[in-house]
Order: sequence, then C-alpha cells, then structure tokens
Amino acid sequence: MNSPDLIKKLKSGPLDEYSIKAGLREFGIPVPEGMLCEVLPGKIELNFPLVLKVSDESILHKTEAGGVITGIETEEALKVQFKKMKDRFPTSRILIEEMIPDGVEIIVGVIRDRTFGLTLMLGMGGIYTELYNDVSFRLIPIDIHDASDMIEEVSIGRFIEGFRGQKVDKIELANFLLKISDLSTLMESFLDQLDLNPVKVNGKKVCVLDSKLIRKKI
Amino acid sequence: MFDRLFNPNSVAIVGASSNPEKIGYAVIKNMVESGFSGSIFPVNLNAATILKLKAYRTLKSIGMSPDIVIIAVPSAAVPEEIRNCVELKVPYAVIIPGGFSETGSEGQKLENEIRRIIAGSATRVIGPNTVGVYFPHSKVNTALTPPDRVSFPPAGSIAFVSQSGALGLLTMDSISEYGVGISAFVSLGNKLDVNEIEMLKYFSEDGNTKSIALYLEDIDQGREFYSVARNVNAIKPIVVLKSGRSEASAKAASLHTGAMASDDRVIDGMLKQGGITRAYNETELLDYARTLAYGKPFPGRNIAVITTAGGVGVITTDLISSRINGVGLSMATISRDAEERIKVEIVSFGSAKNPIDLTADGSIRAYEKVLEILMKEESVDAIVAYALPQTPKMNLEIVDAIARHVNDGKTVVVGAIGSLLAKELIVEFERRKIPAFPSIDRAVKSLKVLHDYGKYLHERGRT
Repeated sequence: MNSPDLIKKLKSGPLDEYSIKAGLREFGIPVPEGMLCEVLPGKIELNFPLVLKVSDESILHKTEAGGVITGIETEEALKVQFKKMKDRFPTSRILIEEMIPDGVEIIVGVIRDRTFGLTLMLGMGGIYTELYNDVSFRLIPIDIHDASDMIEEVSIGRFIEGFRGQKVDKIELANFLLKISDLSTLMESFLDQLDLNPVKVNGKKVCVLDSKLIRKKI
Repeated sequence: MFDRLFNPNSVAIVGASSNPEKIGYAVIKNMVESGFSGSIFPVNLNAATILKLKAYRTLKSIGMSPDIVIIAVPSAAVPEEIRNCVELKVPYAVIIPGGFSETGSEGQKLENEIRRIIAGSATRVIGPNTVGVYFPHSKVNTALTPPDRVSFPPAGSIAFVSQSGALGLLTMDSISEYGVGISAFVSLGNKLDVNEIEMLKYFSEDGNTKSIALYLEDIDQGREFYSVARNVNAIKPIVVLKSGRSEASAKAASLHTGAMASDDRVIDGMLKQGGITRAYNETELLDYARTLAYGKPFPGRNIAVITTAGGVGVITTDLISSRINGVGLSMATISRDAEERIKVEIVSFGSAKNPIDLTADGSIRAYEKVLEILMKEESVDAIVAYALPQTPKMNLEIVDAIARHVNDGKTVVVGAIGSLLAKELIVEFERRKIPAFPSIDRAVKSLKVLHDYGKYLHERGRT
C-alpha cells in the first residue's frame, strides 16, 4: 500500500462507490469483490450471490433511486437484472459485487464538526440509522480505548457475547475503527464527510458494503 | 498568569455608588463585607466617600495601578475606562455591564473596539456581561447582587467557572445551604478575552482547587479546549454542564453521519474521550464537582450499601444495578465470613446481606463495626453509607463514626435524607470533606461519577 498515492486519488480522483472502495481496499479495509462495467461481460469471476448497484456520483442515495438489486443467484438472473438496471440508468455504469450474506449492519462515518474538526461516528447501521438514534462519536484520532468505549456505548456492544446467532469480534471492530481514524487523519486537509454504511460485521469479518465520501468545499 | 487576579492587593470599582439601586453599590458593598484586607478604591465623579471609603474622581487620580479594576458603568462608557486601564497597566479589568455582543451588532462593535484597545497591552479582560468574580480564599467579592439577596459559599475546594452569571449566583446560593465551599467563582460572560481554557490551566495548578465545575453555553476553540481539558482532567477532575442540547444540527447533513452529528452528540463524545464528567443540570454540576473533590475515584464495579431503613436499601440497589433508570453497576457479594461477623453486630431481623440493613434498631456503634468489616472486604469496591436521622439511634455522632473510616481505603459516599437534621448532618459531613447528598438518587449518581473517573484513569494508566 502506498499511502501518498492513495490519498492523492481520494483527494482528486473520482468519487463513485467503486473508486472509493478501491481506495479503502488499498488501505487494507475490506470491501466485497466486485467489478465495474458498462456492459455485462461474458465471463464473471465472482461468486454468487451477487448484487448490482448503479455507479454514478450524481446519485447519492441509490436504494431510494431504485439503483440496487440484491440476491442474484444465477447467471440467468444476472443477465435479466443487469438489463433492467441498464434500462433504468442507461448512461450510468453498473457495479457487480459479491453479496455478503450474514452479519450485523453497522455504520461508521466521519464528519467535519465546525467546532471540533474531524469526528468519527459508530452506530447501528443500514437505512434506519437516524431512527435508531444509537450512535457514538469521538474526535479523530481515536486510540484503542476510545474504540472500545464506542463499541460498548452503542448496542453493537451487545453482540460481543453473541445475540440471536450474531456475533461481533470486539478487537477486529476496534481495529477497523482505528484504521478509519488513521485514514481520515491522512485526509485531514480535504475530507468533509465519509459514510461507510452499511458495514457488515460477522464474527471476525468486517466488510464495507457501501461508502460515500464528500470533500471539503474549498 | 492570573495570580494577581485571584490574590490581588488592591481593587478599584469604576462606577461605585452609594445608591442601593445601582450595580456599583452592590459590587462595593460585597467587596467591603467580604472582609478583603487589601485596598478598595471607589471611583465616582461626584462622591467624596462611598460606604465610608474615600472615593476617587477617576481611575488615574488613584495614583497607582490597582490589581483589579471592576467596571460598573453603562456599556457605551466602557471603552474609555478600558483605555485608562491600559494606560495604567492594570493587569485585570472585569467588565460587569451587558449591552455588548449579546444584544447585536452595535454591541459587537463595542467588543471589537475593546479588543483593539487591549491588543498587545498588559491588561486582560473578564466579561463583559458578567456578574463578577468571587474568591473566598482572598476575600474578593465583586458580585453584582447585594449580599442580602444571595449567600456566598465559604472557602473550599471547587473552582466554579460559569458562562452565565445568574446561573453561577443561584448555584452558589443553593450550595451555601449545605456549607459547600468553593476555591473561586469566575463569571466569564461574553468571553471577550479571558476564556474557559485559560481558567482550566490556572486552576489545574491552583493549590486550593481540587475539582473544577464548568458551565458553558458555547465552546469556540474546540480542539484547544479538548486537549487542555483532557490534560487538566487527568490531574484535577472537571465537570462540564453544557447547555443548548436541543439545538438542531446546523451541519450540511447530506450523509447519514452528518444527519446524526448534532453538536451535543459530538460534545458528549469529546467529553467521554477526555474522561471528563458531564452534568445535565446545576445540581449535578456541583454534586459531581463535590464528590470528585473529596471522594476517591475507583475503577471497580461492586458496591456495598449500609442503611438503617430497608426501603432505602432496596431503592439504592435498584439504582445501582439497573441499566435503565439506574447507573448499571453491581451490588457486591459479601463473603460468608464477613456476613457471619456482620450478623453478630446487627439485630436478628436485620440483613447481613448486601444491602446491609441495621434496621431502625441500628446503633452508631454497630454501624461503625459493619463499616469496618466492609472496609476489609475484598469483594467491595465502594460503599454507599446512609445516615438517616429518622431512625431513632442515628445522631450527629454518625458523622465521626463514618469519618474515622473514610481513609481506610474504599470510596464512601453518604446519603442523608430528610429536612432539618439531615441538613445538619450534610453540613457536618461537608466540613469533614466527605461527599454527602440529600437523596438516594444524588448519592448513587455521584458514586457512579467516581467510578467512571476512576475507570478512565485506571484504563489510561494514570493511576
């Protein structure tokens, strides 16, 4: 991983989901295997089930715009759904990704607070985040104690011992938070907001399913 | 920095007055009655004497530079007086009147003018729009409310810094009832110059101060505040009451994180990150500052309760153990051996299990024996001890009985509930620097604060 190059890309490169995820992956943050395409390629080296997502910087909330199709189990279904997506968004590219089936959905985000600067958030994730009101903030950079406290503070902490078959590994999640804190510090000069939502946590596996980044207005 | 503010040799009051309707009267009345041993200089164009003190026509006619100049004239006349302070190299000016940035752009202009006048000078400004300062150790009281309307607490260990003056006065008035002492009170007002960050730095090194209570309406230098408060808090515990919680987020909330990031949530996280105690009202602010000033922080979770009233013990147990409507700590399991020894001391229908209930029959001697046993119990991290004057054998001697053991190693927080006798008890506990509270809820919450602070210091390797 070459941080300066990576940061340069995040600073001035494109901000579609695929590009941000490529950056995250370079930084050692797990994202699903995927490929970005204009047309459906003949051969796909991805494991089913798959997800299709419209990849377009102008569409901030893809689900609401009908730009996400999940649970594609076969090549046949993929062809049908890809065409449907292309009909809906003829000028946009489509991201094909492996689907991460199980896990607890959390949100990890960064906001530039007007008083305190870059601030990290952890919360229960998914589309109902604002409804749960189950979040914790810390100023960036955080240390391992802060990460641990954040996990304990929100109901994600309840999954450490296991809850209804779901389990969260506290150390892995804490390390993930530290990594996002480190990455944000490197982006201090230009980062305004970062949303990793949802992030799926399944035992020791932590994976960013969707990510959005907004740069500071200069 | 600030030594001469907190320990001045001389104080001048510009706008001092013999007219009880004027703020300049209250200020000088408070200065005179507080027993200040240095010089007091009333400044008034038209009076020869004020409260039997020789008055001066102008600041300059005093013929020396006072350590503190209190300015109690209307806002429009303030810049001129500040100019005089700068010329005389007065180290500290306290601007009492309102009519500055809190009123709008005209007031803002006045503040900017004052900022220009003091730039690069030897004069530091507190306020404007402040109720003044009160330093009981050096007997300085420049409050704008006359002493017949408000009680001022005795000299003690809590530094109290308040952005709102009136909230400061009423809080001091309230704690005076129990004889709770403070090391200093500073009403920061509009924070034109001196701010909370500098006060934190000063009090962290002030020998009289054991904890710092901070009431804030806004924080402007966020990162600087965080880094100073975090460092100071590791040496001297800080309690913050920050108002304006319901304020809607002013952020561009295009993403989820932005939508969730209200100012209050960020401040809450920042305080937790610094291990800084948060209060949600003026009672908690001083309760927590008091506990942290006297009590021993503890990282453990296991609490023992001693009571002479069963109901009090049960409610305390609920408040200690519940996560919802409680503090989420644990009740200690008393060892079989200790339980047997406690049984010997208490009546047969009492409870030797935690919460330990001596019943209304409980004597002070038995109480002290139980306390001694609990102090040696390994499974106990802290003790809530009730001094309940309604049970017949409890009297003021309980204070000394508990006081004899507060330094035996384990944290003790006292609950003394009721009216006249309970109040007397709390005053006595206060005199011995033992944190005592007039309700179950306040005692348990204060104990939790000592736990949180102790846990923070323990985990971050500061103890």
